[in-house]
Amino acid sequence: MTRRGGATTGGIAVTLALAVGLLAGISAAQQPAESVAQCLGCHDDPQLSLTLKDGSVMSLYVDPREFARSVHGSQLVCTDCHAQYAQDHPSGATFPTKRAYVIAAYETCKKCHFDTYTRTLESVHYELVKGGLDSAPVCTNCHGAHNIQNPHEKRAMVSRSCATCHQAVYERYARSVHGKALVEEGNQDVPACADCHTHHQIEQPGTKRFRLGSPEICIRCHADERRMAKYSISTTVAQTYLSDFHGVTASLTRAAASAASQRVVVTCVDCHGAHDMASPRLKGQAAMKATVAATCAKCHADASPDFPAAWLSHYEPSLRHAPLVFLVGLFYKIFIPFVVIGLVLHLLLHLYRVSAGR
Amino acid sequence: MREAGATEYVVRFSFWARFQHATVILLFGALLVTGMPQKWPYLDASRWVIDSLGGIFAVRWLHRAAGIALSGLFAAHLAGAVTGVVTRRSQPSMLLARKDFRDAVDNLRYYVGRAETPPRFGRFDYRQKFEYWGLIFGAAIMALSGFILYFPIFFSRVLPAELIPAAKVMHSNEALLAFLIVLIWHMAGAHLTPESFPMDTSIFTGKIRKDKLRREHALEYDERFGGQ
Repeated sequence: MTRRGGATTGGIAVTLALAVGLLAGISAAQQPAESVAQCLGCHDDPQLSLTLKDGSVMSLYVDPREFARSVHGSQLVCTDCHAQYAQDHPSGATFPTKRAYVIAAYETCKKCHFDTYTRTLESVHYELVKGGLDSAPVCTNCHGAHNIQNPHEKRAMVSRSCATCHQAVYERYARSVHGKALVEEGNQDVPACADCHTHHQIEQPGTKRFRLGSPEICIRCHADERRMAKYSISTTVAQTYLSDFHGVTASLTRAAASAASQRVVVTCVDCHGAHDMASPRLKGQAAMKATVAATCAKCHADASPDFPAAWLSHYEPSLRHAPLVFLVGLFYKIFIPFVVIGLVLHLLLHLYRVSAGR
Repeated sequence: MREAGATEYVVRFSFWARFQHATVILLFGALLVTGMPQKWPYLDASRWVIDSLGGIFAVRWLHRAAGIALSGLFAAHLAGAVTGVVTRRSQPSMLLARKDFRDAVDNLRYYVGRAETPPRFGRFDYRQKFEYWGLIFGAAIMALSGFILYFPIFFSRVLPAELIPAAKVMHSNEALLAFLIVLIWHMAGAHLTPESFPMDTSIFTGKIRKDKLRREHALEYDERFGGQ
């Protein structure tokens, strides 16, 4: 063991190594790598394992190439995370189960990722961890331990790691217009799980609060002109929803946080689906109309097949889309100022006559 | 410069007329307070009103209740007016005649100094008649579009469904127009003009000063008290 202590000591060591390295004219990166190599001297053995108190066997193998390829590979040495094994090593057998080891070990992430760690404390996952659910994820369950990749560069991996537990939802997502584009085409414009559910402060979905807040999630991308232009998707979806009866109800109910029935509040996901949203354009006009009618009928049981025409399908009224609505609006745009100006003029003339004297 | 009859009052409005006016004030006010925040739901003021009244569901309930009540009053008014005329118990004094349009032109000529005297008006002058018919048509539009919005499923079965968003645009704009007319024309024109300031009380008390009747409704005065 050449390295002792925690990150601070490690940091000083790196700085010292850098200075020494620069002076000596050798690459500074070699210094921490030496330490990793020392650990891997034993841990590169695939057979290396440990029997825990519950009798289960925990592998102690670390794939050297996998670690080298990980985001930490060139930045950290083993004892940055496994500080406790800098001395009195080995000591893993004190853990009753593998889960107990994971729970004890993952908190080491907060040494560097304090903000993200703190956010997880407010997530639904942490609630489950606290409740003692063994399958509830901690940092390493989603990000891995020795093979951690940059989640910003490999977004498809984010969704796949969610799939570890949420397999059924992932399959629905992977078939959706978003999931297909990400999984099959590597499209970076579409959302992976965490783009909607957030990465660390993951809220309990399915609650009233989450449902009413969901339009904001969709609007983040669907009101983005540049992104939507690539796919010829209208960015008026957001404002047309918000000016619509459903949208007004949703946003006002959210503000009031009243005990009003959730059923009557329709958000994006009620019509488009949450994980299985399909592109309405792919199926053609007639099929699209039928789909919309069926969607309306989910809540409006007695709605006729023509009922969807009662809704402007996210279009601003124009002579092409909803001409009647457009013309009624245009009529009032002219008629109201006309009447108001007329009445004011009449009133002013009256006052003028009175003040001028009869 | 008060003329003869300055302190003498004569009856001008029946209890039924006064009751209708008071009820319209109440219901129209309730509809405005519950309706305007729905027209502009994203203003802070609207949110304040909606929250104060118990949330959007309560506001919609109040709005519909007031709308039904006003529609009922409207129907009762029409029924009363028609039966009154049919049974010859009242005169169709609100009906528009050619004289009203002539009066409007003559009155405007008087305003701009092209005539020496204003026209002589009957029981209701053209301004009152125009406003009355505006109210009748406005109420019809509001009630009709309001019920279309209240029962969209039903109406989409019997009429083209595009009528529903059209009814929404109509309801919302007609409401704004009605509000502006009441504000500018009725409040300012009927109550705040120099002749009536601070308010014309006859629709509340049912009585009008005899000299005011003579000045503002000369033809009615002549009919009731003999011409000069």
